[in-house]
Amino acid sequence: MNKSLFNLASVASSTSRRMTLTVLATAVYALALSGCDSPKPVERNATKYELVTTDDANEDIGTYVLPQDTSILNEPNAEQIFYGKRLLNETKRLLPEHVGAAMNCNSCHISQGKIPLGDPYINSYNFYPRVMPRSGKEVDLEGRINGCFMRSMNGKPLPRESEEMQAMVAYMKWLSQSTPKNQKVAISNAGEVDTSLVADTARGEQIYYAQCATCHGDNGEGMKDSRGDIVFPPLWGDESFNIGAGMARTYKAAAFVKYNMPMGIQTKGLWGHGNVLTDQDAVDVSEFFAHKPRPDFPGKVNDWPTGNKPKDARY
Amino acid sequence: MKKWPRIIIIAGVVGLALAFALGQLLPNLRTKTSGIEVDITDAQLIKKGEYIARTADCIACHTVLGGEDFAGGLPMLTPLGAIYSTNITPDKETGIGNYSFDDFNNATKHGVRKDKSALYPAMPYPSYQIMPDEDVAAMYAYFMSGVKAVKQANKTSELPPVLNWRWPLAYWQAIFAPERTFVPETDDPVLTRGQYLVEGPGHCGSCHTERGIGFQEVALSNADSEQYLSGAVIDGWRAKSLRGEHHGLGTWSTAELVDFFKTGRTDITAAFGAMAEVVEDSTQYMTEEDLYAMSAYLKTLSPTPGEPVTIVAKEDVTTQKLLDGVYDSRGSILYAEYCQICHRADGKGVPRIFPALEGNSAVYSRDADSVLQITLSGGRMPDTPHDRMAFTMPEFINLSDADIAEVVNYIRNSWTNSASKIDIDDVVQMRHFLSKKPKTATDVAPDLSITAAVQGANRE
Repeated sequence: MNKSLFNLASVASSTSRRMTLTVLATAVYALALSGCDSPKPVERNATKYELVTTDDANEDIGTYVLPQDTSILNEPNAEQIFYGKRLLNETKRLLPEHVGAAMNCNSCHISQGKIPLGDPYINSYNFYPRVMPRSGKEVDLEGRINGCFMRSMNGKPLPRESEEMQAMVAYMKWLSQSTPKNQKVAISNAGEVDTSLVADTARGEQIYYAQCATCHGDNGEGMKDSRGDIVFPPLWGDESFNIGAGMARTYKAAAFVKYNMPMGIQTKGLWGHGNVLTDQDAVDVSEFFAHKPRPDFPGKVNDWPTGNKPKDARY
Repeated sequence: MKKWPRIIIIAGVVGLALAFALGQLLPNLRTKTSGIEVDITDAQLIKKGEYIARTADCIACHTVLGGEDFAGGLPMLTPLGAIYSTNITPDKETGIGNYSFDDFNNATKHGVRKDKSALYPAMPYPSYQIMPDEDVAAMYAYFMSGVKAVKQANKTSELPPVLNWRWPLAYWQAIFAPERTFVPETDDPVLTRGQYLVEGPGHCGSCHTERGIGFQEVALSNADSEQYLSGAVIDGWRAKSLRGEHHGLGTWSTAELVDFFKTGRTDITAAFGAMAEVVEDSTQYMTEEDLYAMSAYLKTLSPTPGEPVTIVAKEDVTTQKLLDGVYDSRGSILYAEYCQICHRADGKGVPRIFPALEGNSAVYSRDADSVLQITLSGGRMPDTPHDRMAFTMPEFINLSDADIAEVVNYIRNSWTNSASKIDIDDVVQMRHFLSKKPKTATDVAPDLSITAAVQGANRE
């Protein structure tokens, strides 16, 4: 009797022990499972663009992955590339002798030239040398960069072989990510605006004061940071780009403004920029600021030697 | 052998039944009959009520992005599932159109709805409780006559069975939200007004006071304890300490606070996240006198015990390195690529446009939640008539979790800032949290369509 009771008890206890073990095992399993469900660190979601050949834009031949600056460290000439990047970002501070305006290269080349429609440098290294309509002759990358120094930055050209020029070229070469010469990344440098639109300057002025003047100033004077370095470039006046700059042309400026301005008003995009103005808004506001007083461009006499001068050219 | 379990079960059932019955009775003890007759057609009263509803920021929780004002439906994420704010428009079917003034008063101040069941403490009735009946009466007139009735059924909570029972909340109320009245700390009428606004309708403690084991605010007034308004983490934001220490409001002047409440910005910082909503929906509408009163009162709060009032500023070696292109950490390379254009080499940003990171107490607070959240998901400053534009921070959701951790650690420990390090798991957790968090108004870009722009131009 006693024995059988004892046995029963031992059976019961072993059953409960097995139960306990099962419960424990289930718990551990559940914990492990929930462990598998717990989120894992994510890698960078790099922006990718298609690569096409320069002859046939429809032929898909690969993918371009937009590099992050941290990968510059992998390059043998990392120091040169970083220097080039800094020159493009802080041109006025680093090259005051060559920059007349209160402008940096990257005042217009959004997010270090990494953004389509924001004057990217992504294809620059492969695009030049090329015959350009404005000069009517072949221009190489150094020549093109110097064009910006003389027009948009209202300054003086850099010696082609100078350390500074070569550093900027090295940055653009790195940004091309070894894309072969006969290929290009399928992006546009500038967006479209309807060039048949007629500008209403009065309306443009209204838009300027509502949506541009907070940064570019009520008198177009731009804004500097606490150290005196440029944050927002002047849009007119002596410190602005000269009339030889693309930005002084209404429709070219409008194409930039529509897709890139203002900055810091979206939660998407690296600068949180653009895409709030209609074509008409962009044309109106661009006509307003582009035609304000600004420095002359002495080299203007040589532009468009073969004709085909665009209708918004300033001279 | 078999008797005991049965006795336990019976005792349990009887106990539960008793607890349930008492739970039904408890709310009745909280409700009041005021005897106040409210003239809901009195235009002056409606206007007064509208202002009081602004100070109480009812709209923040009772409206969803893109939804009708006060129609409810905003989810509040709890670890056990979401609960939803309710329709407080005067719609008779789905809103509070059938509420008498006493019903409204009991819900607002005592957390008891018309059917005598208890409200979740997500509704800040422990704070509203000190509001005078006359003020609630004005709000009642506004809600009955000044708010558009919207027919929109309330959503049921996602809490699992048993946990969705309401009667246990009656016990929560009895323990954590006992009767209290407003006790002014001083004789100064301005400070008293400020204390009242902060403690009562403003319900600042809902976010800025730590919550205890029962999700109750550990202090409802400064007299309760110095933990009052000493900062907390809520909804993935660090609601900063509003007390006198360095990490709190020690470095803020009264004038800066008034500017912040009125415009959502100062020269060095900007309201973001939940506080941007508060400015946009509530404080920007408050009178200069009320804003001054709140600011002056907050500046009287003593430092949180154990927290330093001043901190010896670290020497800034960051600015020169960034200017010289000395990138000696991965964080510095990331900062130069993604942040420097706006927040600048000296981390001082651009006044009223891009907030400073250097010397900004929101950046170097002990808890990095706010910096992490805004880096991952971006956000917008409050839009008020005082500045022409409301700027945004873009989301950096495409960066790797490891790089987010690098750059957040970099800004929290550069220039004169110093703060604790976060690790990649903190980023992983925040990204996961944000994937479920509903968007609010200041998460999205301002309306810059031309009509809005013309309004902007006319503001001058």
